Amino acid sequence: MAEKDARPHTVLVTGATDGIGLLLARAYAKRSHHVLATGRRGIANDEEFFKFPNITYVTADQSDPRHAASTILAIMQDMGWEKLDLAILNGATAWTGPPYDEPINTIGDQLKVNLTSPIHLILALTPMLHAAQGRLVMIGSTSINKGHGQFATYVATKAALNGLSRSLREEWRGKANVMIIHPGPTRTRMHAKAGLNLRFVRLFFMSPKKVARAIQVAIRRGNEGRKIITRFGCFMARFSWAGKGQL
Amino acid sequence: MRVLITGAASGLGRALTEELLRQGHQVVAADRETDSLENMPMAHRGSCTIRFVDLESADSIQRLLASFQGQQPFDQVFLNAGISATGKFEEIPAAAYEKLIAVNLFAPIYLASRLVGKELMARNSRIVFISSLSHAMGYPGASVYAATKDGLAAYARCVDKPFRKERVRVLTVFPGPINTAHAKRHAPEGSKASKRMAPQKMAKLILRAAKGKSKTYYPGSKAYFGALFGKMMPGLATRLMRRGIYDKLKGPVY
Repeated sequence: MAEKDARPHTVLVTGATDGIGLLLARAYAKRSHHVLATGRRGIANDEEFFKFPNITYVTADQSDPRHAASTILAIMQDMGWEKLDLAILNGATAWTGPPYDEPINTIGDQLKVNLTSPIHLILALTPMLHAAQGRLVMIGSTSINKGHGQFATYVATKAALNGLSRSLREEWRGKANVMIIHPGPTRTRMHAKAGLNLRFVRLFFMSPKKVARAIQVAIRRGNEGRKIITRFGCFMARFSWAGKGQL
Repeated sequence: MRVLITGAASGLGRALTEELLRQGHQVVAADRETDSLENMPMAHRGSCTIRFVDLESADSIQRLLASFQGQQPFDQVFLNAGISATGKFEEIPAAAYEKLIAVNLFAPIYLASRLVGKELMARNSRIVFISSLSHAMGYPGASVYAATKDGLAAYARCVDKPFRKERVRVLTVFPGPINTAHAKRHAPEGSKASKRMAPQKMAKLILRAAKGKSKTYYPGSKAYFGALFGKMMPGLATRLMRRGIYDKLKGPVY
């Protein structure tokens, strides 16, 4: 966004019920932008949950990519959005364990939620993003640099997003800005949801608040790729998979 | 040596199959089009088992895996099958992207995870993932194809250690353009076929690398220098790819 906060922008945040997504949705709402938050969960009262009147929530389960994309597009049309200034594709799911034990549905689920669904969504949102000369932000992971033996499929999907953003950025040059931000190990509930008990290692991970703030700065700058890390946190993350940590 | 090859009916898979048969190995050739495999010249010394598999369908992959039960384990597995979709990102329908992810990413991940650690792989065997040079260069004009190949390369990097514990070594190959029907279909008009590597030559290079110890392999000097360039100047490499490919594409092909 070149002219910072010049008008209320339209912002989409996927995976906004928890972790970094929730913080980002609230942060953009606080700056009085119109925010559409999506997630898997059903939420009875948007305003009570998000604490901001300018956040609209819609349940869009990304494990059904086609349906999720059409739901989000429909609600945008209902709200009368013609342009989309900022889309943050943050929603993701993970599974942890040795790659040869990974159940087939979790492989499929991760590919759908983390990769197929963003692709469906980008396809649906292309005209609106181009109309606004908007910004498309994918959330990756620093784990793609060295790989991680216990998160193989998750890392594969994040690396795929990285590749997608790299090529799409070039394709969309002059039409919209495509970027990917790679947060390092963050103290969110993702690891627990993925079935990993981090124990004390969690203490060394970055606080989600700081990560969300750094993501906003990175989005404002609009450079191609940005890593958000603390060296020590990344170092400690290596000990998180000690095996016994499995829930 | 007993070898499994997916996508064995045409292109690089076909070249790999024929080369291995020539060397006298036992090949299980899996593909969706089994007809052209049955017409394989009989001059080869090795023996070839043809298996039907539709990599778009998890059930079909499961049936293929079931057919390996109780048989001799594999010494080498080439997860070679791949498809592409070229054109502007927004001009290709979502269904084509779903197919791309299923064949290029889901199928190899599923196959690898079910082959290793289940007594289907021999001790000190090798599993080979065929990624693409686009991993180093970017590929505007086939962004989701590039995404799946990047994903596959990352998966291979991740499983290297856990698979090693199961006595299976991983090799990821990043081939540049190969002179196949697949490349011809997806390349922009006017690109020269003579600049692409012959599949037979590529197959020989890959088989040699599979015998060696390296974890990653860029076959041929062009791919090697391409990778070097892509790693040193990623932005410039992708921009040149755009000039060379994306700007010349006529329409979507999927």
